[in-house]
Amino acid sequence: MDDYPSGSLDHSVPFLLTLGTRTGSAYDAGLSAALKEQAVLIRSDLPPLDSDQARALLRYVQERDVSQLPCNAKEMAARKYRFRVKAAERSLLLPPRRASLPEGIDAPSPSLPTVLHSPYSPLSPISPLYPDGLVDTQWIRKHQDLVPSVLLCFYNLASDPTLATLCDNQIKTDVNNIRALLSQSGYKTRVAVVLLSDHVSSVSSGEGVQERLETIRRGCGLDSKALFLVPSSDSQEELERVAENMLTTLYTVSVEYYRDLGRHSRKKRGRGSVPQPTVPPTSGTSQTLSLAGWNVRYDFKSAVFAEYRLEMDVALRSYEQACENLLSSELMELIPSWSPRWNEARFLADVIAVRCLRCLLWSGQHSAAARRWQLHRERIADFVDRRGRGTNNYGWEAWEARWAVVMADLIDKADIPDLAPTTLKLFVAPEKSVMGERLQPWEFLHHTGYWHRLAAKHLQARRTLAHVIPVDDRRSPSASPASHVAKSAFAYDTYMCPDPYEEFPLDRPGVNHTQMIADRLMRARSEFLKRCQTRFAAEVTLECARELALAEHWPEIISLLRPVWKGLPFRNEGWIAIAEELNWALRAAAAEVGDAELLLLTSWELLSRDFTRRPDWHYDISKALEGVEPTIKPTVSIRDGQLQAFVSASFHFVKEEGKAGQSVCSQLSIVSSAHPDSAPVVLSSIYLSFNGCLDGIVLRHHADGHATQQCRTKAILSTVTLTTQADADANVEPLESDRASTGVTLIGSADLTLLPGKIMVFNMGIPLREPGETLAESLTLNLDSEAFGLRQSLAFHDATIARLWYISPSVTKHITHPRPLAVRVLPRPPKMEVSCTVWKEQYYTDEPISFRFEVENGEDVKALAKVDVVLFGEKPPSFTLEIPGQELQTSSSVRSEETRLSGAPMGTIESSKSLPVGLLLPPIQHSSRYDLTLKVTYFLPTNPGTPISQTAVFQVNVVNPFEANYDLLPRVHRNPWPSLFDPEGIAPPNTADNDSIPLPPRGISQAWTLITRYASFASEALRVTDVDITIQPHPTTFRCTSTKRTGLPASGAGRLVNPKTIQEAAFDLAAQKLTVDDRSHAPLDVSLLIKWTRVDDANDPTAVNTTTLPIPRFTLFGTEPRVLASVSHHHHRGTTTTTTTGVVTTPSPLISLTITIENASNHFLTFGLAMEPSEQFAFSGPKQTSLNLLPVSRRSVEYRLLPLDAPTADEEDEDGDGEEEAPGGWWIWPGLVVRDKYFQKVLRVIPASEGVRGAKEGFEVWVPRWMVFGSVGVEEEGEGGEE
Amino acid sequence: MATAIPSIACIGVIGRNNNPLHTSIFPSYDPSTTSYHPVRTPLQFSLILSSTLDVFELRSRQNAAAGVGLTGDFGLLHAVDDRLAAYGFETNTGTRFVVVVDMRGRRMDGAVAAGLADGRDSKRLAGAAAGLREGEMRPVFKAMQMAYIRLMQNPFFDPDEHSPPAGHGGRKITSRKFAEEMRRIGENWMPGVTNL
Repeated sequence: MDDYPSGSLDHSVPFLLTLGTRTGSAYDAGLSAALKEQAVLIRSDLPPLDSDQARALLRYVQERDVSQLPCNAKEMAARKYRFRVKAAERSLLLPPRRASLPEGIDAPSPSLPTVLHSPYSPLSPISPLYPDGLVDTQWIRKHQDLVPSVLLCFYNLASDPTLATLCDNQIKTDVNNIRALLSQSGYKTRVAVVLLSDHVSSVSSGEGVQERLETIRRGCGLDSKALFLVPSSDSQEELERVAENMLTTLYTVSVEYYRDLGRHSRKKRGRGSVPQPTVPPTSGTSQTLSLAGWNVRYDFKSAVFAEYRLEMDVALRSYEQACENLLSSELMELIPSWSPRWNEARFLADVIAVRCLRCLLWSGQHSAAARRWQLHRERIADFVDRRGRGTNNYGWEAWEARWAVVMADLIDKADIPDLAPTTLKLFVAPEKSVMGERLQPWEFLHHTGYWHRLAAKHLQARRTLAHVIPVDDRRSPSASPASHVAKSAFAYDTYMCPDPYEEFPLDRPGVNHTQMIADRLMRARSEFLKRCQTRFAAEVTLECARELALAEHWPEIISLLRPVWKGLPFRNEGWIAIAEELNWALRAAAAEVGDAELLLLTSWELLSRDFTRRPDWHYDISKALEGVEPTIKPTVSIRDGQLQAFVSASFHFVKEEGKAGQSVCSQLSIVSSAHPDSAPVVLSSIYLSFNGCLDGIVLRHHADGHATQQCRTKAILSTVTLTTQADADANVEPLESDRASTGVTLIGSADLTLLPGKIMVFNMGIPLREPGETLAESLTLNLDSEAFGLRQSLAFHDATIARLWYISPSVTKHITHPRPLAVRVLPRPPKMEVSCTVWKEQYYTDEPISFRFEVENGEDVKALAKVDVVLFGEKPPSFTLEIPGQELQTSSSVRSEETRLSGAPMGTIESSKSLPVGLLLPPIQHSSRYDLTLKVTYFLPTNPGTPISQTAVFQVNVVNPFEANYDLLPRVHRNPWPSLFDPEGIAPPNTADNDSIPLPPRGISQAWTLITRYASFASEALRVTDVDITIQPHPTTFRCTSTKRTGLPASGAGRLVNPKTIQEAAFDLAAQKLTVDDRSHAPLDVSLLIKWTRVDDANDPTAVNTTTLPIPRFTLFGTEPRVLASVSHHHHRGTTTTTTTGVVTTPSPLISLTITIENASNHFLTFGLAMEPSEQFAFSGPKQTSLNLLPVSRRSVEYRLLPLDAPTADEEDEDGDGEEEAPGGWWIWPGLVVRDKYFQKVLRVIPASEGVRGAKEGFEVWVPRWMVFGSVGVEEEGEGGEE
Repeated sequence: MATAIPSIACIGVIGRNNNPLHTSIFPSYDPSTTSYHPVRTPLQFSLILSSTLDVFELRSRQNAAAGVGLTGDFGLLHAVDDRLAAYGFETNTGTRFVVVVDMRGRRMDGAVAAGLADGRDSKRLAGAAAGLREGEMRPVFKAMQMAYIRLMQNPFFDPDEHSPPAGHGGRKITSRKFAEEMRRIGENWMPGVTNL
């Protein structure tokens, strides 16, 4: 916009001029010299005001100037008035209303009066437009700067009554004077008066002041709207209020003024005739302005006046009309392009278009504005193509650029809220009226950055076109032949731009295109940056840098590009071409400036094969600093990811885990993806950094030519032996010296020549020292030459690392474990052995258990050890630990299922020695299962801080060695029962009881036999030394004695009981109630005791264990009558017979069956006994009898049975009793029935001795074979005798 | 000038990590030489495509704030200048399609006119020359998305390789079929085409 003459494009704002205050400098409206002579001077005779009040008012009014404010409807809506304010002190010059007749020109004809016109009109010879121009900037400036719409005169209203009248009269005179001068000048400028009261008007004087004002107003002939009083007040608010009021009022006056002017021009247009110039043209074509031209002029004028009035719609219509007419075939088509009027017309078209655009932007028609902008460009291009010098020259591109800048400035001025940087919007949505239409993308009004960039693009085109101007045209006209000048004069479009010999002169710098382009681009860049368009800004920056490179502004390039190159993610995101462009641009600049670090960085990055190869580049990092001589040796350090590095590295451990003290294989591979023909990079050292027990590995370069030999394959493998730093030379690597390291650094050496496109693979065995995780973190490549130092870091990531393991240069395998970068170092394995010397599969209840453990130190050095013992199971017993040289220690119960002994000291165990440890468990009652854990924790003097532990777990099975079942069989007690009726019997002396209890029992007695069968459930043979019973608890109501028949050898050596064999033991029990009165049931609780030893327990044969087996409770006694059957086989008598007769064996075949009936009740009972005759035996005894039993008494009936014959097998079957025939005899069934006479109830006969057993009905009696068939003769004899 | 109609100058596919996946460049008509060649160099197109990322970021920020833009169609991203304009589309997985339209990329010659005027009036032709309606690029994006989906259905195509979920960069798409498809889309589109 600055290219256009000042004022031509400005927004027209009503012009207010103040008069009568001191401003310090004389007012100069900038009237041209030609017009100054004829100018009308308007002056005030009164001295200018210099009071504070006047200055404050003036300042306030000046501050309300809107000519620099944003120009849009929204801004205006907030204001009541708009003024462009200027201040004159005492006088002002107005341009002459009528131009005077130029000297030397006489009136064409004396008869006709000379018609004088405005000096700005093409009618006046004094005007540059004379005779056929249209409108120029002068006219616009006339209304904008020279002729005010309102002249605001400041006067002091004296409060001193003595001076009041005089003062008022002076004001009246002065105002009248000014009005007279103005009306003389012909301008309709409105005069307004502001009176500044210098005194606080009291209430009494209020009326007086009002009267004075009225007088002045009338005296001056002023409108009531044109006189203002500013009361003398200190308050700024008051002043502002009055000023606001005044300006609002004046604004309507001012708008009225411009309306009058507008009406005037419309009236002139309506005349429809061409006015005659003052003097007919005599020079040039003698052509005067056509009617169409006049119409354009009038339309333009009324449009401008409408703009003053802010009637933007009206203005737009008029401007469009003017523009249409101007570009119509009647006007511009007719102007020859060689004529200066051609360019003037183009200029006017531009001005009108700009003003149109402003009107559109004012009303928020943004897309329409963009479209209008394009339309104008296309129309002008069309015109220039057809009528002018074409669009393919620098002049046209200059105009294009200017046209874009104008739009950018207009958008800036319009201050569109939707495009404010804070909204982050790039363009505004189209207004509603065009919404559904097909819109060019450019018609979405973009922010100014885009427009500036467009301008820059056209400027570039302009430069390109300027650079193809032939040499002849570039010569200055003075140095060229005249003919050539004449020829080239019309070849170039020089509208608002210099001639070719100025644009691109031959011998000196001409137009600084680069600067212009760079300025535009920088403005665009700042706009883009404001809206977070960093990438777009980078693009613009790159363009800008290219421009600056042409101008060789190298430092600027670096300061521009470096942040982009460093900060923007082009290379990380893979926009390689962009990164490459940046790199080359920066490299070129750095080479010029001598920025060695930047040179190194860019050269390093450009080695990557990702970038396209430039044939003219050496690709040798060692030559990177050629041509630069830095004062100090440059050193650069490159982070991972900072550059597009041509090297990448990966590292793998071959295994996931290793053990401390061992070493693990690992492989480091460094891949070079440099350009194939680039020079090899010789690294001075590489540093592999770890996290964990290892600090790092340093590999130093050691040229051995090994690499070059193998270089036919892609990968170059080498094995590196590593030594710790202490072993290596004392030359401390600078890298780790500054690291506060506690770990170990390993050092090796290898050939570190990195050939382009090759892979260096190093196999390394890394010794592992401490348990934990060791993780490879990063790799640093150091390149240290005499000229420079470079350090490139490469970080390892599990996710991105290449999982290839090079077995040989051409063979790889994939590493499968998930984290090849890490190795888990397990603790050093313990070498302490815990073993049990004698371990039995089973241990038995009721046996004290002892274990013997051996703790053997397998370490190379002695160890200080402790032991933790845990017994885990259900209710584990507490145990005792026995360690030689230490006190006995007893465990404590931690929980119900665990007993523990922690940290029992074991003292020092020498290397390869063992320590016996004993563990004693008390006898355990119940069969159970425990886990016994021994954990030996020890420290080696070589590494006192690290505990090493060895754990051994044993399972202890404790089982019951025996199980038993029991039968309690009733027997007939031999002793008589006490008699209830015999006081003697109840008397203490009772020989039957040989007990020494103080109160001997006198109650009824019963006898029983307890038969126990016990079986060994042990896994091995056990020696049973004794079997016994205990009666527990001791009965209180009766006394019980027992006699055992164990069947064990009497020697006490016991019997060996094999597993799963059944042994029997019988116990005779005799029980007697303490008193005869007590005849109730009594429980009997008995336990079986088995005393046994282990057979193999050689070391302690006397250790007898007692296993107690509880026997289910028996019930003795009772009041029910019992019928007991017992037999005796009379062999005693038989033996006697034998003795007397002298025969060796003469058994008596008689069996005596005794039926004993016990009546323990208090009743007198009568029983009937009936013995049925049988074929099996003969008997003697009552066949049928009655027994009467007194209360608490018993009686016996004896039968003698003679078995008749052994039954045959058939008979046995007929009996159907199912018994298998025992070889030693047979059973006979006496049909004996015992019946309770009173209840008529058959009582069960209970077998009560050996040889009697219960049967389905009644009982059976055993006939031993020996008794019947002792010898045939005797038998027969006996049989016969019995008969 | 009125004889020039819009055409596609460049198609770009940009991955989730802002990495270029695919770029196709199409020649535009140059009235001064009456021949077809690209209006920009590959580097310039690369810059144009990358600068659309700014717009995607701005727009998704605005969309997130306003709760709109679920379709993924970003419409006009910006007009690079008075001739080129970039249109954008974002898939659910963050892959972005960018179409750079050259507003004067094709000459309205007889063949094109015949193609456009099949049964329709010439008003549409005039409209086509004037500009683009909102949603005019939708068929292009739809076709591109179809092609991209077809690419993803290829079991040998590993999306994570092209846009690693964690990290940056990624490899470009090398599928010949996909490139061919992009070429077809770019060459066949013209204003008013509803199905590609």
